[in-house]
Amino acid sequence: MNENQLLIETIENNDLWEKEIEICRNEYLKVKGSVDTNLYFVKNGSLRIFIVDEYEEHTIRFGYKDDFIVSLDSFLTEKASDFYIQALKKSTIKVMSKTNFFDLLNSSNKFHNCWPKLVEQLILQQIEREKDILTSSPIERYKRVLKRSPQLFQEIPNKHIANYLRMTPETLSRIKKS
Amino acid sequence: MVIKTIDLEADLIERTRINLNKVEKIKTLSKKVIEFKENSDKWSALECIAHLNLYADFYNPVIKKSIENSNTKPNEKFKSGIIGNYFVKTIEPKKKLNKMKTPKDKDPSNLSLDLNEIEKFALQQKEFLEFIELSKNVDLTKTKTAISLTKLFKMRLGDTFKFLVAHNERHILQAESVIKAYK
Repeated sequence: MNENQLLIETIENNDLWEKEIEICRNEYLKVKGSVDTNLYFVKNGSLRIFIVDEYEEHTIRFGYKDDFIVSLDSFLTEKASDFYIQALKKSTIKVMSKTNFFDLLNSSNKFHNCWPKLVEQLILQQIEREKDILTSSPIERYKRVLKRSPQLFQEIPNKHIANYLRMTPETLSRIKKS
Repeated sequence: MVIKTIDLEADLIERTRINLNKVEKIKTLSKKVIEFKENSDKWSALECIAHLNLYADFYNPVIKKSIENSNTKPNEKFKSGIIGNYFVKTIEPKKKLNKMKTPKDKDPSNLSLDLNEIEKFALQQKEFLEFIELSKNVDLTKTKTAISLTKLFKMRLGDTFKFLVAHNERHILQAESVIKAYK
């Protein structure tokens, strides 16, 4: 069992989630400017994290069933974050505060590797994302993401994937057909 | 009343999030429901939203300008003005929504509206959240904005923020009650 599974199983089996919330399609879990240090777990549904720049929205991450989702900057710094987190369809989200999360991690030696492992995964994901953004060919960007997360294309509407890939929905459909 | 600026900002942001979510819920309803009027004097949900957009049309540029032109420094505290506070209290939704007079230029009932108004609301609220961010560089008490009602009085930026969020809450409640009446 890997660290993520160990954590999730412990939380589930001991009923450690603080609450469960339902949000409808397009509703916001978080908006720009708020401090949000919660750890969210997607029980079902899907969400996206985006920022707004000059009226344009840029999707930076998705979360779907069984993913953790956080406003990572806020979670780490406990300061306000620019991120919006929005549901893409009706979603059920489990919530745990940062304090309780770290209390859990510190509660037993068996968890002592969990946080470093999680951070390691996150850094590796960020590097992949950085490479995406630096890849100039739209086709190559598409191929990278398809290889990395084939599930994304089942879960998330085209329009949002296109935004994530920094191309128009039309370009994305063209690439998918070819 | 003096409050911490950081608490004021957090409160405005959270209430704006709730307002956005309520309007997203309205957006999922059919055109028939959104345009339903109980009688010719009352607004439809769409007209309520359009009314809020008329306010944002006026206030968003005004707020932007006031922040850009402010030579003040950020302040940890915010103090409501007497008149500003009065306006905020007046507009805050009461338990039973009281009727208020609408200035002619903010009356949506003679406009031709379409469902884009709802999309526009979300855009203008995101713009509003940008202004809260920008306002972190200025003093919310000393920075003043024009108001739509009269040219004789300028309102403290913090009060203008509070007024607009409460005004949104008022008319979103109104929109929800029309929708309820339809059902």
